[in-house]
Amino acid sequence: MLYAHLIAPFIEFDFMRRALVGASVLALSAAPIGVFLMLRRMSLVGDAMAHAILPGAALGYLIAGLSLGAMTLGGLVAGFAVALLAGLIARITRLREDASLAAFYLMSLALGVTLISARGSNIDLLHVLFGSVLALDDQALILIGGVATVTLVTLAIIIRPLVMESIDPVFLRSVSRAGAPAHLAFLALAVLNLVGGFQALGTLLAVGLMMLPAIAARFWAKTLTGMIVVATLIGIVATYAGLLLSYHLGLASGPTIILVAGVLYLLSIVIGTHGGLLLALLPRKHLEA
Amino acid sequence: MVRFWIAFVLTLGLSPAMAQEKLAVVASFSILGDLVQQIGGDRVAVTTIVGPNADAHGYQPKPGDAKAVAAARILFANGLGFDNWMQRLQKSSGSKAPMIVVSTGIVPLKSQGKAHSGHDHGAIDPHAWHDAASLQRYAANIRDALVTADPAGRAYFDARLANYDTALKALDAEIKAAFAAIPADRRKIVTAHDAFGYFGRAYGIVFLAPQGVSTETQPSAQDIARIIRFIRETKAPAVFIETIADPRQMERIAQESGARIGGKLYSDALSPPNGPAGTTIEMIRTNIRELNKALAPQS
Amino acid sequence: MSEPAICCADVTLGYGPHPAVHHLDGDIERGSLTAILGPNGAGKSTLLKAIAGELKPIAGYFDFGARKPSIAYLPQIAEIDRSFPLTVFELLALGLWRKTGLFGGLSQQDRHAIERALNAVGLIGFENRKLDTLSGGQMSRVLFARVMLQDAKIVLLDEPFAAIDTRTVTDLMGLIAQWHAEGRTILAVLHDEALARAHFPSTLLLARETIAWGPTSEVLTEANLRAARRMVEAHDPHAPVCEVA
Repeated sequence: MLYAHLIAPFIEFDFMRRALVGASVLALSAAPIGVFLMLRRMSLVGDAMAHAILPGAALGYLIAGLSLGAMTLGGLVAGFAVALLAGLIARITRLREDASLAAFYLMSLALGVTLISARGSNIDLLHVLFGSVLALDDQALILIGGVATVTLVTLAIIIRPLVMESIDPVFLRSVSRAGAPAHLAFLALAVLNLVGGFQALGTLLAVGLMMLPAIAARFWAKTLTGMIVVATLIGIVATYAGLLLSYHLGLASGPTIILVAGVLYLLSIVIGTHGGLLLALLPRKHLEA
Repeated sequence: MVRFWIAFVLTLGLSPAMAQEKLAVVASFSILGDLVQQIGGDRVAVTTIVGPNADAHGYQPKPGDAKAVAAARILFANGLGFDNWMQRLQKSSGSKAPMIVVSTGIVPLKSQGKAHSGHDHGAIDPHAWHDAASLQRYAANIRDALVTADPAGRAYFDARLANYDTALKALDAEIKAAFAAIPADRRKIVTAHDAFGYFGRAYGIVFLAPQGVSTETQPSAQDIARIIRFIRETKAPAVFIETIADPRQMERIAQESGARIGGKLYSDALSPPNGPAGTTIEMIRTNIRELNKALAPQS
Repeated sequence: MSEPAICCADVTLGYGPHPAVHHLDGDIERGSLTAILGPNGAGKSTLLKAIAGELKPIAGYFDFGARKPSIAYLPQIAEIDRSFPLTVFELLALGLWRKTGLFGGLSQQDRHAIERALNAVGLIGFENRKLDTLSGGQMSRVLFARVMLQDAKIVLLDEPFAAIDTRTVTDLMGLIAQWHAEGRTILAVLHDEALARAHFPSTLLLARETIAWGPTSEVLTEANLRAARRMVEAHDPHAPVCEVA
């Protein structure tokens, strides 16, 4: 009975298996990125990026028509340009990162809309570019897998300067020049995960799986590693439960997965072991010293 | 010489008057509008309320429509519950012109049950125009109405009807020939669209709709699972679900169910004149082509 | 006479057109222990920032000699994000950057060094404390320990004793004295004259411009201190452009 409800759908249908694997791998890859974005107060980057990639996708479309490959590549280039320019400006001027990014993504979006309307067509490009978790073909799975590999390898390399740069950039500047490259590499990884996620799974799922689990993890873990692990787990659980709900109740899959993640987030606020509201209300024992 | 000039001037004077003899008529939607034009030719001026690529179901009439209706000598509606708003339009415009229900005389089909596009047809399936034989009935009804309103054009209308009938018979034969090459066990289509009952009845194609599937907006995992399961169970070789906008989603369904994805089928409206379904006959031809492509045995 | 550690060549520093440090010229001797004193807004922190490389001079330059030596900088208000989930031990481990670099692990020796540093600043047992659970004074001492671990030739301390109790000040001064004995060049911004008189052989009395610079006893005279107090803190809106080359 339990088997029929919890396991059978994945045995019977290939598209369910692909959805589970694809979204879980993205959750794994995006979790550390999401944790860092949250800690650095850049939680809204994902949404900004969804708009910022438009001129790139538009150029790809103008050059190669409705080719997914061209538009994805264009989107990546636009995303990298916006993220890196924003990061650079934030480093060398007095602007903080959020302001810098806001300025660039707005310009990018406007450029994209202009490009499209100049061409005369009102095709909803982004609608074409953004994928769906139930429609993962081999290409999309390879894309997700590649993104995850690049992300985890790169993170392993830049984790130390990234942490230092997040905590005490002045100190890092005084001992090493790795701060700026590490930061820019991190931004590039964020773009990679986002654009890859958009193409394979759509914006809601890509941004949602990156940020919601990381934000919820704040209430469970005290260390960086702990946060990343919890965020990954929450992402995978949300994927699994969301897909099952979509299967049994006929709800749209992407939004359901994110809603489950949202419920987990709300639960975390209440019962989380690290700053959860319930814990704060209960009478606490204290030690003698 | 003077007699020549008098005759000339009289003829000149009369021709614009003769040209103004065109019968003003209104057709409820594009397919009907085309049929009326085919039979009426130069003697009618057709105003179509719901144009190409537009949805006639649950149409909300606009003030401009009432004007056209008021000026018309004949009102053509499909009937069978398809365009009930025509009655309201007639009332509100105060028109005393006869309302011709063009589908009178065909053998109606019971509705396949599933509501689509958020509305219900009721018990009877109104999409009778997909059957070339029923179309002959439609054309004859139109001819009768036109002759009643414009007796002087009887010969003209009869000739045009005869032409059109010939074309329809040829079309009918064409369709039968096209599907003859397809083995009987492959004559199954899965589609969420319940508009092809008459076509199916006339030409031996079974149109199957997966139960409880909504493909209007984002499909859920349940929808996709049901479609795939249904295709597997019925062993249908092709699936036409154009309401799922994402081509990658369709590709996934095709891969997993083994069915071929079909192209666009025109069900309730014509395309614009320069499109693949500019007239009713062209529309049916395009549909046959797509169905054939999808059902042909794997090469 | 060994080459000076830092040559200040007519340095002017500022954040806008109004100078924070105006035409500072002089040498900081190698291995010296110098206190920097002056009224609020005198430019003391700005000077350390500039030597540390955080601020570029508007005019003039710093000359560090043939090879720029390693510098450890303890800033006043650390721009440290304390909400980041790191422990004291991890922060200090990152302080050993010069040794470990991008990938290097911590050796047993490194761990002992971290323990010793914590001990020296009186924070034994704080290894696993999260940064956001420390008081201001404790955070200061952690950063002090980090400076220790950096093992640098030049040490810049910006008000290292703010928010620290007297007993610990004595301990930390002991550390500074030891660094001095090891031949490091030390500059410390202080507010406590008595401390300067007691422990620092050299003093720079700064009030935007050099009031006096040299042996502490000669610098901290009544006349000099009065002159320093006369410095006007606010920017002069009518100041003309400085024509001095």
